[in-house]
Amino acid sequence: MSPKALRADRITAAVLFALGLAMLAGGFTMDRLEVRQIHPASIPGLVPMILGAMLALCAVLLFLGARGPATETDAETALDVSGPNLWITLALTLFYALGLVGRMPFELATALFIAGFVAVFTWPAEPGLRGRAIVLGRSAVYGVALAFAVSVLFRDGFLVRLP
Amino acid sequence: MDRLADFLGALGGLASFTTLFHVTWSTLLGIFVGSLPGLTATMGVALLTTLTYTLDRDAAILVLICMYVGAIYGGSRSAILLNIPGTPASAATSLDGFPLAQRGEAGYAMALATAGSALGTIVGIVLLVLLAPPLGEAALGFGSFEFFWLAVFGIVISGQLTGGGRPIKGYIAGILGLMVAMVGSDGIHAHVRFSLGFSELNGGIGLIPAMVGAFGFAEVLTVMWQRRAQVASVQARSKRMLPRISDLWRFKGTIGRSGVIGTMVGIIPGVGEDIGAWASYALARRLSPERAEFGKGSREGLTAAETGNSAVVPGALIPALTLAVPGSAPAAVLIAALFIHGVRPGPMIMLEQPDFIYSIAAMLLLATLAITVFGLSLTRFFVMVMRVPREYLMPVVFTLCLIGPYALTQRVFDIWVMLAFGILGFVLRRMDYPMPPLVLGIILGDLLDKNLRRGLTLSDGDLSPFFTRPISAAFAVLIALTIAASIPAVRRGFGRLLPRRRLAGTSHEGNHR
Repeated sequence: MSPKALRADRITAAVLFALGLAMLAGGFTMDRLEVRQIHPASIPGLVPMILGAMLALCAVLLFLGARGPATETDAETALDVSGPNLWITLALTLFYALGLVGRMPFELATALFIAGFVAVFTWPAEPGLRGRAIVLGRSAVYGVALAFAVSVLFRDGFLVRLP
Repeated sequence: MDRLADFLGALGGLASFTTLFHVTWSTLLGIFVGSLPGLTATMGVALLTTLTYTLDRDAAILVLICMYVGAIYGGSRSAILLNIPGTPASAATSLDGFPLAQRGEAGYAMALATAGSALGTIVGIVLLVLLAPPLGEAALGFGSFEFFWLAVFGIVISGQLTGGGRPIKGYIAGILGLMVAMVGSDGIHAHVRFSLGFSELNGGIGLIPAMVGAFGFAEVLTVMWQRRAQVASVQARSKRMLPRISDLWRFKGTIGRSGVIGTMVGIIPGVGEDIGAWASYALARRLSPERAEFGKGSREGLTAAETGNSAVVPGALIPALTLAVPGSAPAAVLIAALFIHGVRPGPMIMLEQPDFIYSIAAMLLLATLAITVFGLSLTRFFVMVMRVPREYLMPVVFTLCLIGPYALTQRVFDIWVMLAFGILGFVLRRMDYPMPPLVLGIILGDLLDKNLRRGLTLSDGDLSPFFTRPISAAFAVLIALTIAASIPAVRRGFGRLLPRRRLAGTSHEGNHR
């Protein structure tokens, strides 16, 4: 494992340990429904307590396994990926789901999202008004057409009241 | 003979133009989903569940099964042409499929993959018809104690086999899935747990929004994160698009073995198609006289991988139907879809709807016929499909991920669940946590919780029935052995023993020569 992967495992182990303890505490303090005179072995918090303890134990084992020296370098395990692409995708999808949907007609929100997504990721690298106008036009037509198709399918085909 | 008659009866019951229409479009869509890297069978089945809830029961299940079979088969296309498995199930296919394509035999490789997939599914269908009824009847004898162990066994074996070199990550994924299932009303006293003040969580976290997020949104993020995949410029020297009967006859042993192994791997809870393909491939390599060719463009290797992964599909449905324990991640989504359409999978299915298993087998056969016809006739069309730019495809996929779960319940809350599981799924996958145990945990959480507490109530808090009833004891031993096998010290101990035995075996063979 690379130093980066080992560090990630140690941090995850700490988070999972905390989650396990929280689940254990949540199960322990959960209402035991004594007023309903249920069997003490069937309290609702029993399985959450067991799961919390098991997760905390697994987190400790994960941490112990991530202590040793790295067997690979970060460069050896590096993936051919694009960080900016990930953040742009995340921003666009979250903005669409949390910012646009519900605040305007679904067709409009979807058309804006699809057109924006296509335009951002196919934006020409070299400057030139004509190239950019073509990308914007193509994205807009694609976005409107797909938004219309999806909306009609769900609203008229599946009788869904769109958000 | 009775089973054959029931199967033929189910097949006859499906004979209509509506069936033909549904089989055609859903199988084509499945192959399309499978052949595009980034779109998986689980995602296809989850998204299609949200699109089929207005169809009648049999049509909806038929469509989902065709999507499942089509997507697992479709993964072979990009594995052969791009060296990128369209779905994880086709990882072993690319080992020999891509070298064959580089040698100019892409068309023949795809034909062989089609034949392997079809024959693998047929072996799986035969075993489904033979094994599901007795398994369902045996499961009627299961009590709370056995069902509790079954759920634990599912999580442990799935975590062990899908965790790669680090089963601990598989176990953690499984426990996280079980924790997700703890949210909402408990199954015995209807006490609301961990709802965090959201009334929408009183009924628990829906499997479909969670699956669409973990397999759909997470894939959108992954695909856009990775650099663009280039379609290899494969020069077709061989125009042959049909498999040679002589090749298939030569590989009959491999096909039969891979079909059985794939089905058996499918029966193991939450393991799935990729393990089925790898297990079949490994055994075929060990037994083949041409084992040196494996990895360099072996036709036998390609056939073994494709037969193995496709046979998992019927195999995974055996426990899904008879025990409500899914054999793979897409089968988990299928269970959720069955509930939506009023079918209650589990041991009672053999009493309530004994013909249903034969209907499923008939649907699988129709899907197999469809992949054979489309696979052999539309080769060029699917090569074109793979050239669809991801920048155009992914925003549409995300729109469907958003509107699909919403359509089922009309709750904006389910869109939030989808987003949360998408980001969680992406992060966990980046850190090598397998997804099948997580899915299995969400499905099995209720089974485990209810049966542990019910069992303890029946035994008045006494733990001994969990270890003294014969089937419970067998499960307990199996689980202990599985966990022990994941401890490095135990593995090293076995490792020290095995070479000695192998050496002894070699000298024994040598003496005979």
